[in-house]
Order: sequence, then structure tokens, then C-alpha cells
Amino acid sequence: MKKKALALLLGICMVTMTACGSQAPEAASGTPAQESADKAAGGEQEAEAPAEGEKAAAGEAVAGVVWYNFADTFISNARQTLINIGAADGTITITDADSTNDVSTQTSNMNNFFTQGVDYLVLNNINTGAISEICDQILEEGCYGIFANTDTPTDEDFAKNDKLYSVSSVATQSGTIMGEALAEYWKAHPEADRNGNGKLDYVMLLGIQGHYDTTVRSQYSVQALEDAGIEVNNIGGEIICDYSRATAQEKVAALLANYSDDIDAVIACNDDMALGAIEALKAGGFFAGEDSYLPVCGVDATVNGCQAIKDGTLLVTAMNNPVTLAKAIYKVMYLTNNGEEVTTETIGLEGVSVDGHRVWLDYSPVTIENVDQATYDINDTAF
Amino acid sequence: MQLKNGKIKDFMMNYALYLIMLLIVIIIAIISPKFISIRVFRDILTQSSTRMLVALGCMFIIVSGSADLSGGRVVGLAAVVSGSLAQQAAYANKFWPEMGELPVIVPVLASVLVGLLVGACNGYAVAKLKVPAFLATLGMQMIAYGVNCLYFNKAPNNSQPLGGYQEAFGNLGTGQIMGIPILVIIALALCAIVWIIQTRTCLGREIFAVGGNANAAKVSGINVFKILMITYMLAGALYGFAGCLEAARTGSATSSYGLSYELDAIASCIVGGCSASGGIGSVPGVIAGVLIFNIINYGLTFIGLSSYWQFVVKGLIIIIAVAIDVRKYAGKN
Repeated sequence: MKKKALALLLGICMVTMTACGSQAPEAASGTPAQESADKAAGGEQEAEAPAEGEKAAAGEAVAGVVWYNFADTFISNARQTLINIGAADGTITITDADSTNDVSTQTSNMNNFFTQGVDYLVLNNINTGAISEICDQILEEGCYGIFANTDTPTDEDFAKNDKLYSVSSVATQSGTIMGEALAEYWKAHPEADRNGNGKLDYVMLLGIQGHYDTTVRSQYSVQALEDAGIEVNNIGGEIICDYSRATAQEKVAALLANYSDDIDAVIACNDDMALGAIEALKAGGFFAGEDSYLPVCGVDATVNGCQAIKDGTLLVTAMNNPVTLAKAIYKVMYLTNNGEEVTTETIGLEGVSVDGHRVWLDYSPVTIENVDQATYDINDTAF
Repeated sequence: MQLKNGKIKDFMMNYALYLIMLLIVIIIAIISPKFISIRVFRDILTQSSTRMLVALGCMFIIVSGSADLSGGRVVGLAAVVSGSLAQQAAYANKFWPEMGELPVIVPVLASVLVGLLVGACNGYAVAKLKVPAFLATLGMQMIAYGVNCLYFNKAPNNSQPLGGYQEAFGNLGTGQIMGIPILVIIALALCAIVWIIQTRTCLGREIFAVGGNANAAKVSGINVFKILMITYMLAGALYGFAGCLEAARTGSATSSYGLSYELDAIASCIVGGCSASGGIGSVPGVIAGVLIFNIINYGLTFIGLSSYWQFVVKGLIIIIAVAIDVRKYAGKN
């Protein structure tokens, strides 16, 4: 009896685990639409071509999308938009899976999709050390590979495989936007040098160690300040907050207790951490009136981030539009599925440019001046 | 002479944890004298508050000889549930767009209810279905997280971080009464209540008895099933309330809230002198355990030590504190 109950509960546990780990619906049973894929490549690819007469009708192309973390706000928006577009258009069937921020889960998800025989593998890759290996695997499987919002593969990888694309924001821009906005504020407000040492004393709130976005955002924001001829000084060293609002709030509270008179600015690698910093600053007496302002910069332009800009607390946030990301991914699939070339013109989305097989999305700065236009609608399915 | 030495040694052993805590404070204060200030003291207590609640819940479980891995995710679930019910009517991105402003007591009670419910499931799985506690609560941890993600992803919210709380709700986390943060007052009150339950009521003694030796407790007429159910539900209620306060404190909530809080809580309890095999544990010990971690967290950031080193120092302190603490019992046996 006990054993039965245990077995039952274990079963339930396992089902839950699977459900949590991967939300990929059942594979569409249709054959891979490789015929049309070959067409897109100019019909030059002879190897691994499927048997004649297997031409897939529109609507039968299946995309397996591996996102790094469903719980991430940005990803969640992009994911939902992509699902919406797929449902509205019907050309490409979207199935997706969650890597739960874990490289080995990502590998399982990828293999799962390969086994299902998807026509497109869209990979929001976190295994950045193994890009070439992943590209080789995609080549072997013969499906299209689209690297989404991550490090792009090398030129050699692209040369090997005509069916390889990358759709990504220019990640460095997010750092530059924060740095430039801060530089502008610094130059316009001499009183911003609170301890009068002639240097901009900043606190840098990092996401995850080694995470690509964290690296470029921290690096390029400081770079932009230095390029503007501003001397900078870091306070508190490398402050890892895992992109968490609560952690950032606690770390900044601790730093404020010691360096309250020195800190001139807070640079955060995402909006959630920036908002946590703002909470701590408020508790520390900042943002009470005109003379207690302290510039805080973030990235993502989340709803709460934009609200903070309107409230006059957040100085700037860099918007990486998740809707544009989803549209660009879908458009690449749509075009290749129809055998059309992917160019800036054929993609036809604002702020999106194509360089070979690399599709670049621009970040845009959001400040008090343009915050009202900084909106997107994840139910927008026009592409 | 030997006797006197023994006494000093006993004293050192008995109060090892407090001495280590004092030592850390002294070292940090030497590096940066500003550490000794009311503000730092208040900050540390505030940051410890929500974790204190989780640790108190965890203490019940550990004293009863059980384990609970679901705590952190229950905090997350309760944070999102209470946050979704505490928004201003005028907020643009409301979780429930048609709903008006609810009295603050509603989100608070909802979070406690969520905790009670998960606790009841935990208790039933462990005490009735006899699933090993680690597994049962690991399962509940996943279920709580999954349910949280589903709820959080519900249209029109679509996994957007919650915000726009009513002022009264936010005040729970950021307000002060005569300079004392409300969070700290709540945490202290709950410490007192838990301390009374544990030391002054039959229930408290029965939990100790079950944790010390479940079979002996059973033959002496204690309803072990009932006690375990109550233990898990009490713990769940504390986790749930902690989640609500966490939402109020940060002014937001996402499904990733509370991640691995249960491990911090277990570590705080064990460092605070709870026996991992059950039957031993006290509120003052747990308070010290929670404080020591928050002093380290806060203090090391305060002096600008890199996050990487903080992990090393934290890990070392767990091992050293417990190594000294177990000597206390080893000597007596």
C-alpha cells in the first residue's frame, strides 16, 4: 500500500517535472518541409535532400523554439508574441520549450526538437561556449537554425550552412545608451558630483556572472562615459544581483549605509534591479524632492520601468522590443519557407537591418521625453 | 583550575554562534567604523524580517524531525497572489482589470491561505501517504512554482512584473512606526508568538516529542499525523505571510521571487542550533542564525567586498559554526 502510494506520488512528481521543464506540445506529425527549405537555399543543397514529392504545404512547417527562461519578462513577451503571430498567420506552427536558465536543459530541449523533426530550430542560446558545435549539429540535422537574441555564430559557421540565421539585438547598444544618457545628465548637472571629487562614482548592478548581456551592458555603459571624457570610479565592485529586484534592493541599501555621500549614479543591467535600487534609495532619503535626485539607469523598458521614468525616478532605460524580436524571427521563417531572400527590405520592420544572414535589431533609448511612445503590444500579429 | 578552564570552554561552546557573530561585526567595524550605526542596525533587521518568517516556519519542520524544500516557492507564489490583489484601482497594468481596490487585509489573508493550503498538501503527503519529506516537499516545490508561473502568465498580465500597489499595502513593507520599520515589528511579534507556541503550549511540546522520537511519541498517545499536519500548515502560513511582505517590501512581484529561500532558511536553522535529525531547536537560536547570514550579506557588501568572495565567506561560516556547535552535544554524549 505504502509502495503504491509512493509510486503514485513519484509519478505525479515526474509528470510535474516534465510539465515544468518543457512545454513543447506534441510534435506535429507532418514531414519536415525540407523541400521548400532547399528552394530557399537556391536549390544548391543536394546532400540530405528528402525524397521527391514530399513537398510540404504551407502551414505544415514546424518551428521548435527554445527560450532560455520563460520566467524572464522580456522572453515571456517575445514568446507570447511569436505564439500569437504563428496562430494568426498559420504558415509556421510554433512549439516552444523552456531551458529554465540551464544549459543541460537547453541541450535536452534541442535534441527533443531534432527528434521531432522540426523544420526550424529557433535557439535563444545560453550555451555560448558551444556555438560552433550547435551549428554543426543543426547542419547535420538539416533543419534551419535561427539563433535568437544571443551571441551570433561566426562567419565560418555561416559559411558552412546556408540555413543558418541569427536574429539579435545589438546588445552593446543597451550599455551605450545608459552610458550616453548618464554622460549627458552629468554634464548638464554639475551638482551631480556629490562628493566633489571630479569623478562619477557609480554603482554597477550586474545580472549573472558571465551572462552576455551583463558583460556588454556593464562594459559599454562605462565605455560610453569614458568616451564622453568623464572620469569614473566604481563603488562596491562586482555586485551580482541575478537580475533580481529584491537582491538589488538589499545590496544598494548596504552600500548606501557606507557610501551615501559618494554615490553619484547607479547603473543596472536590467530594469528590475534598477527599480530595486530606487526602492533602496527612497528608503535612504533620495527622490524626496528636487535636490535629492540620483540618476539610475536600466535596460528593458518594462511596464514598471517606464512607469518609473514617468515618475521621475529612472533616468533612462534601453528598449529591446520583444515584439520586434518575435516578428523578425517569424519573418525570417516565413520568407525562407516561401523561398524568398532575407534582406532589410523583405523583412520590412522598423529598426531592423540585415547583414548577410545576420538580422540586427536596434535598441532604442527611453527617457521622459519619449516614454509615451515606448509601448508595444504583444497581441500585435502584423509582420 | 581545570574546572575553571572547563567552564570557559563550556561558555565558548554554548555561545559559539553569538561569539562568531560578534567577531564578524567587530572585523567589519574595524574595516569600516561606520558599520556601527543605527541605520545599519535597522537595515539588517529589516532585511532579516521576511527571511526570519521563513526560517521560523522551517524551524517547526526541522524540530518535528521532518524537512521542507517547498518554502521558497511558496514565498514566490504568495508574493504574486497577494501582489495581484493589492493593486491600485487606477494602475494601468492591473492583474485583474475589472476588480476595484480591495482592503489590504484581503491580499494578506490570501497569501496566508495559499501557504496553509500548500502546507496541508505537504503534511498530508508526508504524514498520511508516507512519502519521504524531501521528496514530497520537492514535489510541492515544483507544483507551487508551476502554479505560480501559470497564474503569473495569465492574460492580460502575461508574466509582467507586478506593480502599482496601494499605499497601505506598500507601507507593510516600507513603513515605520516611531522610527521602527513595520516589517521588524511584525517579525518580532511573530518570533514571540512562535516562541510561546513552542515553549508554553502542549502543541509545542508534542512537536518536540514527535521530532525526538516519533515512535515513542505515538505510544505515549500523541497523534503524530495531526501534529505533522499542524506543523506543515503553521510553516506554510509563515511562508505565505513572508511572501506577502516580500511583495510589499520590494513594491513588485514576479514568479522568480523566493528562489532558494528554503535553503537559506534551513542553513539559518541548523547554524542556529536546530538538530537536523529533529527534536532540538529554539527561537533565539534561529534568530541568531538568520541574523548572522544577513550581517554577512549586508556587511560584506557594505565594505565593498566582491560578490564572489561573499559566497566563499558564507560557506565557510556555515561549516565553522556548525562544526563548533555539534561539539556541544558531542561532549555531552
